[in-house]
Amino acid sequence: MITVREVSKSFLNQQVLNQASFTCQKGEIVGLLGPNGAGKTTLIRILNGVILPDSGEISINGYNPVTDGHNIRKVTGVVTESAGLYHQMNAIENLAFFADIYGVKRKSRIHDLLRQFGLDEHKSKLVGTYSTGMKKRLALAKALLHEPSILYLDEPTNGLDPDGISMVLSYLKEYNYQNGTTVLICSHVLHQLENVCSSFSFLDNGHIIDSGTLPQLREKYSTAIKLNIHTNMKIENGHAFGFPGEQLENNHIRVTVNYKDQISFLLKNILVNHWVHSVTIEEQDLETIYFKVRSGQHE
Amino acid sequence: MNRTIVKAITKKDIKDIFRSRTLLLTLILIPVIFCLIVPTGAISSILYFNFDLDADTQKMLDKFLSKVGNEEILAFSLQEQLVYLFVNYIMASLFLLVPVITASTIAANSFVGEKERKTLESLLFAPITAKELFVSKVLSSFIPAFSISLISFLLSGVIINVLSYPTFMELIFPSLNWIVLITLLLPMVLILTILLNVLISSRVKTYQEATNLGGVIVLPIIAILIGQVSGLFFLELSLLIILSVAIFAINLVLLKQIAKYNDRHLLFEKQI
Repeated sequence: MITVREVSKSFLNQQVLNQASFTCQKGEIVGLLGPNGAGKTTLIRILNGVILPDSGEISINGYNPVTDGHNIRKVTGVVTESAGLYHQMNAIENLAFFADIYGVKRKSRIHDLLRQFGLDEHKSKLVGTYSTGMKKRLALAKALLHEPSILYLDEPTNGLDPDGISMVLSYLKEYNYQNGTTVLICSHVLHQLENVCSSFSFLDNGHIIDSGTLPQLREKYSTAIKLNIHTNMKIENGHAFGFPGEQLENNHIRVTVNYKDQISFLLKNILVNHWVHSVTIEEQDLETIYFKVRSGQHE
Repeated sequence: MNRTIVKAITKKDIKDIFRSRTLLLTLILIPVIFCLIVPTGAISSILYFNFDLDADTQKMLDKFLSKVGNEEILAFSLQEQLVYLFVNYIMASLFLLVPVITASTIAANSFVGEKERKTLESLLFAPITAKELFVSKVLSSFIPAFSISLISFLLSGVIINVLSYPTFMELIFPSLNWIVLITLLLPMVLILTILLNVLISSRVKTYQEATNLGGVIVLPIIAILIGQVSGLFFLELSLLIILSVAIFAINLVLLKQIAKYNDRHLLFEKQI
């Protein structure tokens, strides 16, 4: 479990983290979201004990990174934005080197990971000749070598093509499911994380401005419910029984109600003279919520 | 201290030397110039060509004879005296440039090389103590620089003995001076050069900065060389021992400083 309470950090009078607080339960995949320069990378570095916070309290599985950094680093895997690989070495040499560093005895794990991340064919090529996506996949393999109980991933999908993104994210989800690994993913590519993370924390100007699961955040930031209805009713004058609506293609209309109780009222009225084949609530996606959270903060 | 970690980093760094053609070329050229070309040229021209003793050389020889000349040396011919002076004093200070230049070149790259390749972050995120990291980096410079120095010493020995044997009719190398230099002064100079350069490398942001600052270590060796050539002082046995002890003391102070600044957080923040 990761607990961060009112952590602040400055570099040369520039405040990077400002009383940031959040919690990540054991086995959770948490998305740490925020724009570039929000303090995500600094937070990961502080959590791993490589830089010291100016103030605040942190607990990682009961350890304090300031005093027990070494114990934390033994059980954490990190993918940094720059991948941190040796370009003059090939994939096997890179993984063998880090296996020694992390005390990995089972060398077959190197080949298993190379296979899992689709790098088996390229294992003897110098990493300097790899594409960004291949480097990212190898960096993830490196982070998973010692089967860490906590994974910090800083922009893990940067530079990956759609297939690579899908491969990495589904592997992470599966890995988390099988091993109960706690995963903290920093990203600003929101749509990729929607189906991977169990909760989200929004970081802006060094401060966590809100946290929660997607349903919790939807509940909190939903100002209206958008219904997509498959019906032969047509929207005229932009309204349907007093609710704002719009005509969509192929016998679909979109009507916006303010409360869930109003859905039955609307449908009852439509069904008097029209057929209704389906009704779906258009959920707000993570990106919409993200901008609402941030705009709320800046208002 | 985790030996597997130290071994892994040291092995990687030493392999990297062989991966970099420029670095490898520097490490080959330095001993070839100072321990092969220079002694071959100097001894051959003294013994096998019509060596013309100019006024400056005569002055240097006179000072040498007045300061270190013993019965054995005074009994030598002029050419033998010059060879003896070159082999035991000028060549000895030239030889010291080999460990200093090779160790500086390797050690200056130790931390800053990882910084420039953005791999230092990976090492600092790993369960490696700052001490293990420093020890690994010192060993990564010491092992190759010491090996190159020993090879250079052997190379010089062969050259000197082959060229001088027909004249002296005995092996003049290594003298007691050389044995003390190799066993005492060389390790001390190597450790000093490496500690200084590793410390600089861990504090600066580019390799160029590290080499510019670390290059200062060559100056005392140049001063020793000038001392020999000008006849101001000579690298006698007593001076070799005093120098070794003095550098040993400086190394202890440097080690203490490194232990004091041997801070993971500082190392990390210095690379941002």
